[in-house]
Amino acid sequence: MSKKNVILFFLFFSLLSYKVIASDADQVNTDSEDFETTTIEDEIYDPFEPVNRAIFSFNNVADRIVLEPIAKGYKKLPSPLQSGINNFLSNLRAPLVVVNQLLQGQGQNAFQSSGRFIVNSTVGIFGLFDVAEKMGLEEKEEDYGQTLATWGVGDGFYLVLPLFGPSNLRDTSGMVLTMLTDPINAYAVSEGEAWLVPMRTAANAVDTRSQIIDEVNALRDNSVDYYAAVRSSYYQNRKAAINNVDDSELTPLPLISIEFE
Amino acid sequence: MKFNLIIIFFIIFISKNLYSDETSEWLKKEIDIILEAYKNQNLSNENRFLLIEETINNNFAGTGIAKFVAGKAWKKSDKNTKKIYIENFKRHLALNIASMMQGYSDQTYELTKSKYDNKNQVTLIDMEIFSDTGSVVVTWRVKEAKDRFFVIDLIVADISLVVTKRSEFNSMLKKVDNDLSKFNEVLSDQNQISYQKITE
Repeated sequence: MSKKNVILFFLFFSLLSYKVIASDADQVNTDSEDFETTTIEDEIYDPFEPVNRAIFSFNNVADRIVLEPIAKGYKKLPSPLQSGINNFLSNLRAPLVVVNQLLQGQGQNAFQSSGRFIVNSTVGIFGLFDVAEKMGLEEKEEDYGQTLATWGVGDGFYLVLPLFGPSNLRDTSGMVLTMLTDPINAYAVSEGEAWLVPMRTAANAVDTRSQIIDEVNALRDNSVDYYAAVRSSYYQNRKAAINNVDDSELTPLPLISIEFE
Repeated sequence: MKFNLIIIFFIIFISKNLYSDETSEWLKKEIDIILEAYKNQNLSNENRFLLIEETINNNFAGTGIAKFVAGKAWKKSDKNTKKIYIENFKRHLALNIASMMQGYSDQTYELTKSKYDNKNQVTLIDMEIFSDTGSVVVTWRVKEAKDRFFVIDLIVADISLVVTKRSEFNSMLKKVDNDLSKFNEVLSDQNQISYQKITE
């Protein structure tokens, strides 16, 4: 190696291992422009905010009085039973997931989800056991809201639906489409067992709520504006679901540059 | 020369991986301090929170995040108001994280993936928290400054804590005409409520 290369290497290592005395985190600050770097909150169109807030308050009370206590009770059930219920409900959603994957042109995912449905409905005893997961058939969720978004339909305005919670115009349309086209619900109705439809919806709500008890409580107990926090969370979560990419990459990165005073 | 280039690329590759490992090790140590505090039955609720708050304040880019979430209100505020706001925000951040981590204290976790984002110079570390019924992934965004690491964001279920806080603060700041001193009162009141809940 020539002398020049040795010097270059030396400089390179010096740069890599450059150490400065650490200071306290309290002294960390940002560039003056940092707090202007995102407009995500301005992207949420909420023209009916007063009405939405009123419905949100109602939902919040309903959650505290009804849903949360039931979800907490459900959480006390033996874990295998909870997993079984979760798997069963998830398996019932599979046919529509396949439809939406096909509508979004995700042939391979649709094939995989169909395989999941067949395996779990048979070997997995009506979907109670997620055997497919162990076979490498990963679960992927898709709904009409995501399909419409993929087709270029915008969010529309933000909506809080009574009992159903945060949504927007596009996702509400998607939800209506789900209700109208779900084959399991259609079968239940055709068999004169229409009562199963709201039961299934309620079971889904309890199962989902039970999985986020701590997160919801942390958000509710510590927010200066719980409504705005839920609205933002909803949009971030949906954006990630629509784009189907690694969440850690998709979630907007706050450009907080660190300097020392 | 070709050989030298290969060596340089190799060293860069190795150093990035070592860097990620070093960041993960540091993060694991700090997370364990918080989770151990929850498991320590000898600590009173108040002392437990104060210990957790100290850990969070030492490891989060609190001031930077505070400025970011304040948005437009930051610019037009005076020095003293900003100082009070930063103090309030740091407590608020600690209360939020402590409250969230409380739910994970009886569960096991694993740092599953670590990746260095060259473009933004941020390390992304995935933490998978296991429960009897499944698992949840929390992503930590870590940035280095002067031989130290700082957490700049926390992502749970695709939701960024910092982005959510910015949206939430922005909504409340609009109600007080972006007056940070008025907002300080709201934040301080909320902190007191949250503090009582976590220490009761």
